[in-house]
Amino acid sequence: MSRPGRDDSPDRLYTLTGGRSRSGSDAFDLVTLVVTESDPVPGMQSEHVAILRMCRFPTAVVEIAAELGLPVTVVRILLTDLHDTGRVSARHPRSAHRLPDPDILEQVLVGLRNL
Amino acid sequence: MTASPSLTRPSALALLITAVVTGAFCTVSVVAATPGTRAVVGWSLGAAAALLSAGAYAVTHSVLRNRVLRSRLAALNGQISAQEANAARRSADAVRLDAAQAAERKALIAAHTAELRRAESARAAALAATANAAGRMQALATGMLADLRDMEHRHADEEVLGDLLHLDHRTAQAGRLADSIAVLTGARSGRRWARPIVMESILRGAMGRIGGYQRVRLHSTSDAAVAGHAAEGVMHALAELLDNAANFSPPTAEVHVYVEEVPAGVIITVEDSGLVMSEVQLRRAEQAVSGRSLDLAGLSGTRLGLAVVGRLARKHGLTVSFRPSARGGTGALMLLPHELITHVTPAAPTTGVPQEPKAREAKAQKAQEAREADVEPEATHEPAAEPATGTGATTAAAGDISAETSGEFPQFGESGLPRRKRGRALAAAHPEGPDAPAAPSRASTAASDAAARFSSFRQAVRANSPTPEGNTE
Repeated sequence: MSRPGRDDSPDRLYTLTGGRSRSGSDAFDLVTLVVTESDPVPGMQSEHVAILRMCRFPTAVVEIAAELGLPVTVVRILLTDLHDTGRVSARHPRSAHRLPDPDILEQVLVGLRNL
Repeated sequence: MTASPSLTRPSALALLITAVVTGAFCTVSVVAATPGTRAVVGWSLGAAAALLSAGAYAVTHSVLRNRVLRSRLAALNGQISAQEANAARRSADAVRLDAAQAAERKALIAAHTAELRRAESARAAALAATANAAGRMQALATGMLADLRDMEHRHADEEVLGDLLHLDHRTAQAGRLADSIAVLTGARSGRRWARPIVMESILRGAMGRIGGYQRVRLHSTSDAAVAGHAAEGVMHALAELLDNAANFSPPTAEVHVYVEEVPAGVIITVEDSGLVMSEVQLRRAEQAVSGRSLDLAGLSGTRLGLAVVGRLARKHGLTVSFRPSARGGTGALMLLPHELITHVTPAAPTTGVPQEPKAREAKAQKAQEAREADVEPEATHEPAAEPATGTGATTAAAGDISAETSGEFPQFGESGLPRRKRGRALAAAHPEGPDAPAAPSRASTAASDAAARFSSFRQAVRANSPTPEGNTE
């Protein structure tokens, strides 16, 4: 940090998580895709709001951590809170070789456009 | 005239002698007189004898009295002269004494003045030394908090992170104590924030500095922000009020914080369900936080809080008052004047996290709006959002992220297909995968950057969480 204490945020990480340092759940690993299930409501923690806004489209945990500028462990705690209240859901990525061939997808796209 | 016995007795004696002598003479004369004249002679001699006796008595008495009076006069004269001498001596004494007293008084005043001056300079020196030491402690605490934050970002292990968070909390409390001493000794406040701090961060920043922060419940929907120059003071004052509330309520009771916007500014209410303060205590507390007296004499080592709040209130124009709380304890109200309040624009909601995500989120929102309007957004929002990004070392990386992600948004509008939208992280991790071509080629440098960052994350957690891409490698 170039100028300590000047540009960082006054929030300490333990106030974000209420003092917890472990999520107590392994629903989220680094590449779990997170999807928002409900809109943010007033009075929510700003990080939760940010996650819910960010995850309208599936987003990986590690990406969320990078966007929020928070350690992954802290993000996993926040995500577990949201997951426990049903506001987000977790999708584990399928491995790449089982995805449909991009050529087929492209043909489908062309076909749809031709309709 | 009262005749003393000493006067009466010689007078009576003279009367007696005269009476006897004249009586004898009369008797002789009467006997010697002719029988014809005997009666006349007898009466006249008798009368003469009585008169003589009375005269003798009067003369004797007055002579004696004269003598007595004269002696008394002499005695009185002697007394008077003695007293005069005495008085003269006394006045001389008094003059001498006065001079001595004046000299003594002067010496005493001089001694007191010197003593006072010495005490004053000792006080000033002690105060300056304390302020200096407090400032250094503040700097140490601030540096340590920054170091801890760095470490918290570096270590993904939950055990290590837990310990770091614990240390972080301790250091924050130590920093608050140093801040308190600095405030009381009139030193500069510890930190200055370069930008307005949103209410949520103010509340959490205050809450993080007290021991029982886990009992604090925040209820705030306010989007107000506190001006940077006052943010530290407001946080500190609020932390002291929270600490009071937490300390004077049962160890399991919650402390509730409410934020309310009023025409005069913003009111932050701290309510506990602890002890109810009596009228006298409420008055004393209000006196302490009024900031009217800057005297350090009433301080005790364990109760610095309210005096600190008073100083800060005076400095930043805060108004603090106390009232019984509906929760059964005491409620402390802090009014932040509207000069200290700014409102962040809804287009760029300021969150508690550092600047980059905010800028990015703003871009994301604008991009979405732009997508709906079918307008290319970059040209319009890029210059506006750029200055909002942080000035730290991460700016360049953040710029990459936001440029890349915002660059990806319009693609959704065109195709509508890829629900997998930003598989950016995955694409970076699997450049050989089928997603790789989807990543735009103009962002290739950013993608490699992201890949490097992602691989370091992967390195960090691979030990305790086996990940899918770990299997593929």
